[in-house]
Amino acid sequence: MSETKTEVTRRVVGLLVLLAVAWGGVGAAIYFGLTPRLGLDLQGGTAVVLTAPEGTDRGLIEVATQIMTERIENFGEVQEPEISISGDDTVVVQLPGIEEEQRAIDAVGQTALLSFRPVLGAYLPEQAPLIGSEEPNIDPTTGLTIDDDLDSDSYLVYDEGLFTQVLHVGPAALIGEDVADALPLFDPNTGGWAVTLDLTGEGAEKFARLTAAAAGFPGNDPRRQIAIVLDGVVETSPPVALTVSPTTGITGGRAQITIGATEDAQVEANDLALVLRYGALPVDFEISAVQKVSGTLGADSLQSGIIAGLLGLALVAIVLLGFYRSLGLIAIIGLTVFGSLLVVSFALLGQWIGLTLTLAGVTGIIVSVGITTDSYIVFFERVKEKIRDGYDVVDAAAEGFKVAYRTIWAADTVSLLAAVLLLWRAVGAVKGFAMALLIATILDLVVAPLYTKRAVAILARTRLGTEGWLSIEGTAR
Amino acid sequence: MSGWARLRRGESTVDFVGHRRRWFTISAALLLLSLTSLGVRQLNLGIEFVGGLAMQSPNPAGAAVDEVRDVLADVGVAKATIQFLDDGASVRVTTPVLDEQTEDAAIEVLGAVTGAESGEVSIETVGPSFGALLVQRSLEALGFFLGAVVLYISWRLEFKMAVAGLAALTHDLAITVGVYAITGFPVTPATVVAVLIILGYSLYDTVVVFDKVEELVEVEEKKTYSEIVNQAMNSVLARSLATSLTSLLPVGSILFVGAFVLGAPTLRDFALALFVGIAAGTYSSIFVASPLLAFWKEREDEWMLRAERSRRRSGQARA
Repeated sequence: MSETKTEVTRRVVGLLVLLAVAWGGVGAAIYFGLTPRLGLDLQGGTAVVLTAPEGTDRGLIEVATQIMTERIENFGEVQEPEISISGDDTVVVQLPGIEEEQRAIDAVGQTALLSFRPVLGAYLPEQAPLIGSEEPNIDPTTGLTIDDDLDSDSYLVYDEGLFTQVLHVGPAALIGEDVADALPLFDPNTGGWAVTLDLTGEGAEKFARLTAAAAGFPGNDPRRQIAIVLDGVVETSPPVALTVSPTTGITGGRAQITIGATEDAQVEANDLALVLRYGALPVDFEISAVQKVSGTLGADSLQSGIIAGLLGLALVAIVLLGFYRSLGLIAIIGLTVFGSLLVVSFALLGQWIGLTLTLAGVTGIIVSVGITTDSYIVFFERVKEKIRDGYDVVDAAAEGFKVAYRTIWAADTVSLLAAVLLLWRAVGAVKGFAMALLIATILDLVVAPLYTKRAVAILARTRLGTEGWLSIEGTAR
Repeated sequence: MSGWARLRRGESTVDFVGHRRRWFTISAALLLLSLTSLGVRQLNLGIEFVGGLAMQSPNPAGAAVDEVRDVLADVGVAKATIQFLDDGASVRVTTPVLDEQTEDAAIEVLGAVTGAESGEVSIETVGPSFGALLVQRSLEALGFFLGAVVLYISWRLEFKMAVAGLAALTHDLAITVGVYAITGFPVTPATVVAVLIILGYSLYDTVVVFDKVEELVEVEEKKTYSEIVNQAMNSVLARSLATSLTSLLPVGSILFVGAFVLGAPTLRDFALALFVGIAAGTYSSIFVASPLLAFWKEREDEWMLRAERSRRRSGQARA
């Protein structure tokens, strides 16, 4: 088979570029100190000890820890926290990473109290009625409530974006516990974004009473609004729709908060839904201690794991050379390319989304090395088959890749399905594993055509691949 | 030609389908062993799932992790998680629920090794960190995954292959769970991950093997389904052997070097589960999923007809 010189050159250049990207990437990552972030079990992190007010119901604390688990993973850049209830009223939240203690506290601190309050009045900031007041819980310069209490009136700031108001709100009519679910929703009729709100049975009754009272006021009266307050800050304050009857209010436990059709509306709807869903923390925790914690596995475990893993890989290399000779050499170089790209991906994702590498992730990687090695083996077996069918080495490499890549796709799709579904639903260690699996499988699919196919095509045209015991034909016979 | 060379060339002639009784007997025995031990011993659920005790002590003596682990093991607390707080200023030990006597002994030795004064070692119960919600969510994801895999394999290959693949998967998982029951290793979130790895690997391997069957079904016009499956298995045998070697070597190396030479029980438990699961995954693709598939497909009209014709042909040849 004749091939133009440019085709050959293009293949060699493509291969060299990929090698440069992979190996250079690792070099650059190490040079800039960009290494994968290690998880709680390997490197330790920060423990935040939260104490609930005395006598808090155990069930409420359990609900609160579940909410915290979801919130921390959804809001912050913190992956794989470990949260457990300790004693009667203490929750220990362990977060990976030691250098960013403040961030850890913020991530937990965001687990705030949510309440729905009737609006009793709205004022411009400079006209707040309690400016200069000497009431104990009021800041005299701004006229705002200092420490918001769910059971009494408060003067709270409401930053609407365009302008700021001071809202006079009544005691909480509903709290976070009453919200069953909240989802952002695009309404095709209005072309705008909204948040749908699902309430619990009890919450539905309270909500009907609250909205019935508000619906008694005319459309432009601020008292028609319901303030949604998170930790003393008004998140939003939508008015009750004009169609709502003042005798029944909004019944059925479902409501929709219209956000609008502006550019930011989607983000806004998303954030509000998150706040409604996870900000619904029924317990007012106090941070009683922040401590550094060491890894549970210890450096010795990690080290022995790495040594053993490397030894295992050395054995894999020997097997590959023995079975596939010069093709095995291609596979070994390919595994270093795969490994380099994997390390770079983890380092970058650690920076961008806080992805951490736990024991589970490390094992996911070891197994993915096995699976990517299988991609080589499937390919090489096809090449051998084609050679036995009478193809010459160059054609066998090209034809073999075509069939093998189909099989690799079929099998990798199974891994991709698993990774995506686990990422979507799972939390904690399982999520870390899913991420490792996803990255490794994508790399497997990318490395095959970009590296393996080219490298074998080149090998098939060299003396190493065509002559002697190491040759590709030697593998097939 | 030696058997090895035939294997390498994909020309071995093992009758995988014909000997299915033998393979099924082996698998049935393993499954029975797994299920029996599961019934007798049950699983040892880790602190992450069922909660336990947390002891905390200041550490003026500067005890190291190993020292703490050793003294605790001496009084019968084998499965302890040991963490240093604030760079070793104090120690937090999490253990499964202990009986009163062991608990007192543990507090005493912990105080002794850390140099804490009596009364400075605190103890309280801890709830599960991998609670009901996390289990539920993982199971949901698993359900969706299995559904998606059945749809995918049915579309890409065929429905009966999806069912045979799931049968092999169940087989592998049951054996892995059996290993946990027999050894009494604690089931931790890492175990959940190990099980997921095995699940993925088992299906992955089955798809590779069935892909070959499907390819041959399209080109072989005279052979019976069993003959096609046999031919496919023999031609992927070299690949299966190479792949199981290259997958098991790193895991096996962690198992032996990491655990028995350098001593790291967490790694050992994990690696053993993976080793057994991956080995079972490779075995079941060839010896469980494939004979099952052949057995089932042979009952379809089209393939019965073909088998009948093949029998007649060989009868004529003999006459």
